[in-house]
This record gives sequence, structure tokens and C-alpha cells, in this order.
Amino acid sequence: MTHPSSGEVIAKPAPSGLGRLLDHRVLLSIAVLAILPWLLPSKALAVNVLIYGVVVMGYNLLFGYTGLLSFGQAAFFGAGAYFTGIAIGRYGVPWFAAVAIAVGLSTCLAAVIGIISTRTRGIYFSMVTLALAQLVYYVALQASSFTGGENGLRGFTVDRISLFGHQVNFLDPVNKYYVLMAFAALAMWFQSRILNSPFGAVIEAIRENEQRARACGYDVERSKLVVFMLSGAISSLGGCMLALHLSIVPLDILHYQTSGMIVMMVLLGGARSFFGPFVGAASFLILEDVISLWTPHWQIFVGAIFVLFVLFLPKGIWGTLLDVLGIGKARR
Amino acid sequence: MPKSGSTPKVTRRTALAGLSASAALLAMPRLGRAADETIRIGFPTPLTGPFAAEARDQVKCAELAVKLVNDKGGIGGRKVELLVRDDKLNAGEAATRTLELIEKDKVHAVVGALSSAVQLAVNEVTRARGVIYVSISQSDTINEAKDFSKYTFHEALNPHMTTAAVARQTLKKGMKVAHLVADYAYGHEMLRGFKRAQAAIGADNVGEILHPFGAADYSTFMPRLMSMRPDVLCISNFGRDQANAIKQAVDFGVKQQMKIVVPVILHNQRLAVGPDVFEGVVGGANYYWGLEAQSKSAASFNAAFKAANGGAIPTDYGAYGYSGVGSLLAAMQVADGTDTDKVVDALEKLQYDLTKSPQHYRKCDHQSVQSVLVLESKKKSAMAGDNDLFAILANDTGSDDMLRSCSELGHAT
Repeated sequence: MTHPSSGEVIAKPAPSGLGRLLDHRVLLSIAVLAILPWLLPSKALAVNVLIYGVVVMGYNLLFGYTGLLSFGQAAFFGAGAYFTGIAIGRYGVPWFAAVAIAVGLSTCLAAVIGIISTRTRGIYFSMVTLALAQLVYYVALQASSFTGGENGLRGFTVDRISLFGHQVNFLDPVNKYYVLMAFAALAMWFQSRILNSPFGAVIEAIRENEQRARACGYDVERSKLVVFMLSGAISSLGGCMLALHLSIVPLDILHYQTSGMIVMMVLLGGARSFFGPFVGAASFLILEDVISLWTPHWQIFVGAIFVLFVLFLPKGIWGTLLDVLGIGKARR
Repeated sequence: MPKSGSTPKVTRRTALAGLSASAALLAMPRLGRAADETIRIGFPTPLTGPFAAEARDQVKCAELAVKLVNDKGGIGGRKVELLVRDDKLNAGEAATRTLELIEKDKVHAVVGALSSAVQLAVNEVTRARGVIYVSISQSDTINEAKDFSKYTFHEALNPHMTTAAVARQTLKKGMKVAHLVADYAYGHEMLRGFKRAQAAIGADNVGEILHPFGAADYSTFMPRLMSMRPDVLCISNFGRDQANAIKQAVDFGVKQQMKIVVPVILHNQRLAVGPDVFEGVVGGANYYWGLEAQSKSAASFNAAFKAANGGAIPTDYGAYGYSGVGSLLAAMQVADGTDTDKVVDALEKLQYDLTKSPQHYRKCDHQSVQSVLVLESKKKSAMAGDNDLFAILANDTGSDDMLRSCSELGHAT
């Protein structure tokens, strides 16, 4: 891959106090996530925010930073979950190794889907990713001896884990949250590292102007494929976390509605911002959780709120907030 | 903290400390809710989605079961509370809601769910945490050893016993049978049940067509089904799908050629579509209010439901809500509290007759052994009133012989 030496060229605005704080975006994000279970109505909801936050963060790399609108992210979310569940339940792999295997296999899946889909652009890219993700859905539906088919994958409950020589009760919601948060922290560090690298500048260059990036000598096709795989890898880690959290993998996880929900979450939180995906996931899930306790017609409210955001806050909650605080683009 | 007192600057560290302190303060009241005496029953059910009508009936009946116990002073002086949650007919959502019910609301048991996949998800969560779960939706899988646990109880009928009872009433040796099946676990299990019953009776299978779950348009399937020239068409789907499929089959003139049979004939769907469309359709049921003519318990269940719901009558899936919660509360009465092992023991020994006739949970798989009704939808001129929907063709008394044997299900015998 061609390495640009122009990572430093983007002019950064003079750092304000708040801006300087955002230099430590990973640490700050972890700090916020660390207190999340005590702020939300339930621990199960907090874990879901973590999981969807990681999935949407991976998707943001593709959509927000590279500008590729995929409608098939559920394939990697689901693949991570299924591979984790199958590795633990069917082959008796230890949970930690299962997560590593699942992320590896899902990245391979992302490579295959990426090779096919990144050849297309615009609406065709969206459609091809959607179609390929549906293919994954039907494979999972039909291969019911492996996946449990429509009934979902079951029988791989992880109830105790061994951490640095200590036995930890993984059914305890607080323990579970902080173990899974470590995975989320790892994913955040990884993504921050990608964005800060020269490669991060390349993908943003592709988003801004693909022709110009090509003219500058960057291998656009290969960069797109690599970012597709990285995005798939991070989202699949979210899937692994879901499998460990729920101890089931529902078939719906691979449904295109899940892909649509991921797109909604990133738009709600703010594409192109580092912490936006977590804000998006949290606000979507809280809205759903809280409103559906009041009324079975929660979808009307969530839909209306989403439309209002698209119309009036196209940068999402977090993007708009950063704009209001006057924090520069490069520091998100 | 700043060491010199000159400039009181808020550092990142103090800001973070302050933030966590205030968060901890907010969380305080949640820590204090421990030992209130109420018995809490979690009730996840799909209040939104294509099974919403059936789910609402389940909630009403479950609330009635709780109310009747509370009116008599509760269980050992403790009031019972039903915590209803919308699972959106989604297994992941149901698992999350069940986790919330167990971890946050500290429920003593869970009853509910209205789909094969969803009940298995709830069961996976409850059995790992040693919480009793009474499922009130049809499934064969939940009886099998792989998904069973000592905390798992299945109050609903299962596809095997339902299809066998319906097939006995409708199929004869040498008949040709075609199937229209919803392409998900419920449909597949019903199809498997029908085929097994067909084979025992000696009826021939002439073809089967799968349709997507939640399909609105069945017009492409009907000509294909009619070209198979069957004597009986079995439509194995649920909720709104049942009404849509039967309505379109009738539009195509299917009924002139063959008899329509469904594994479970739904009170609400018959009401939604009307008597002309359903006329002559035969299906199984766990409950029909008209049983009150033959059963005292049905009469008193109907009366209690009418009193609580402004004269309305209870429906089939509603009755599951009543007997599921009712049997659990009866076992808690026997166990005199919520101690899980004692309640499990009491449920295993319980003989209960809440809605129709005596029932009990079979020891090996905790399947409720109960009677199965076979109903035929009445034609409009034969209806005595708006609620006189069905004629009872058969009322098969519950027995272990109706179920697959414990060894077939993989249980140690």
C-alpha cells in the first residue's frame, strides 16, 4: 500500500482547552463507558449500548470516514456472534480463543464480500452489500444443524470465566459489563490508531474526492478493501460480545433490518465522529427501551425523532454538539 | 487537586472524579430496593408485531390470574405483581428483556413469549440463571433434552399433539394432502407433526409449499396448490398470516375443491375475517369459551374474565396466559413462597384444572399433559350469537400417549 507522508498536512485549528481534552478521545470514551451502567435504567441495556456502539463504530469507519454507504453490516455483526457461539458450543473452544477465531473468520468473510462489493460505487455498492448480506442470512437459516436455523443458536452459555487466575461469575451483570467493556476499549484504541495513521488520512481523502486521491497516487481500490475488512472486523467483535452477553444468537441479527438499524444509529449519533456511534447506539436503545415501556406504538416516536434528526441535525447528536462547542473537525 | 491555592482550576481528573461521584449518587436509590415482599412474575410477550392481538389476550388473562390470587390475600400474605414487557417478537429483544427482568426487577419467575424462537431464547437466559420459566407458546423443540432444564415448563400444547388430534378428525386412509407452511420454526414443526400423523393414518402427501413469515400475498401459491388436486389443504401458519392465507384461498375457490385444515384455529383471526371465509375450516385449539357447556372450570374462567373485562370472552391464547400464570401461582401456594427448588417440586406434582379439565406437567420434559380440542368454524346461519364461532368436533382427553415418549426426546428414562 502506498503510504502518504501527508498525514500532518491537514491544518489543525489552535487547540482550545476542550479540544486538547479530545486528544485523549479513547481514554475519555472509556471513562464515560465505565460509568454508563450506573446511568442507564438497566445493566442489560448498558451492555447493549456497548455492543451496538462497537458495531456502529466499525460501520462508521466505512460510512463516516470512507463515505461508503453499506447496507450489509449485519453480516459481520452476525458472523462474529455465530462463529463465537459455534466455536464455544460445538467445538468447546475457550471463550477468549472463540472471540479471536470469530473475529478472524469474520474478517475473511469481510474480505470476500469486500472484494466483490468494493468494485462498485454509490447505490450499486449499497445494493451489492445488501444482497450479499442477505445471502449470509439465508446460509445461516438453511444450515440449521450448525446455526439452529430459525430457532437461533443456543447451548453455549458462558457462566464462569477465568481472568488472570481469578474465577469470575460471568452471569453477574456488572462483571459481564466490565469484561465486555475491555473489548470495547480495545476496539476503540484500534480504531483511533487507524484514524491517526496515514491510512486514516487516505480513507478520508477517498471520501472527500476519490478522483483526486487516485491522482495523488493512492491505491483507492485496495484502500477500500482494507477499510471494508477493518470495519467488518470491528463490527464482528460487537457480534462476539453479543453472543457472550445473551448466550443466544437470534437469526434476526443477520436480517437487513439490523443493517438498517446500524445506519440509523450512526446517523443519530453522528457519522465521522469518534464517539458518535456510542451516542447514537445509546440514544436509539434508550428511546426504544423507555418509550416501549409506555406504549406499544414506540416505533412512531422513534421514527419521528429520526426524521427530525435527518432534517434538522444532519450531523447527529454528537457531531452537532461538537460543532456548538466549536471543536475542530480533525479532533473528533 | 490543585496544590497551590492560587488558581482554582478544574483539572480533567477532578472533573472525572466529580462526574463519577454524581453518577454514583444517581445510582444510589437503585441499590436500596432489596427486600420488599411482593412476588414478581416477568411476562415478556410480543405486544407489537403480527401476533399482537394474541399477545394482548395473554396479558389480560395473566393479569386476571394474578388478580384472583391477590383478591384472596396473595401467597402467604405476599402480593403478586405481573411485569409485562414487549419482546417485539424478536429473540434478541426477548433475551435482553428477560435479563432486565431477572437482574433489575429481580423477578421470581418468568411466564410468556409467543414464538418458537423467542421462547427458546427466554429459556436459555432463565435456565442459566436458575429462574423458573413457564412457556405459553407452541414448540416441540423446548421439550427436547437439549433445551430442557429443571426450570423449564411448557404449558402450551405442542405441535406434535395438536396436529395428531386434528389429523385424526380430518384425514382418512388414501386421502391426498397438500401443505402451505410458514417458513419458520412453528410452520416446520407443524408440518413435521402433520406428516407423522398422515403416515400413521395412511394419507398421501401430494406436495408442500413454504411461504415467507408475515407474507401478505398468497396469490402465487394458490394455483400451484390447486394443481396438486389434494382432498385436504393444511395451512400451517399463525396470527395474521392465517387470516390472510385462508381469505385468499377462499377467493381462489379453494374450498370448492378441498377442505381447509389448520393446526391451530385462532379465535381472533376468525373474528377479524368473518364467518363466510372461515366457514368449514377445521383446526385444533387449547381452549374455546363454548367449553363452558361441558366444563365447570371453563364456566368459572369465562365468568371471571367477563367480570374483569366488561363482558368480553377469553380466547385460546389468552387461556394459556391464565393457566401458565395460574399453575405457577398454585405451585407457589403449595411451596408457600418463591423458593425455586420447592416451586419446581410443587409444579412437578401439581394437578390443576384452571380452564378446561385436569392438567399436569409430565415429569421428564415438563410438558403440560392436557386435552386437545378440534373445532370447526360455523357458518353464519348456524351461529347463535356474535361469539358463537366454532363447533367442538372433538375434545381429546389429555394423556401421556399424545406426547412423544421421553426417550424419543432424549431424556433419561
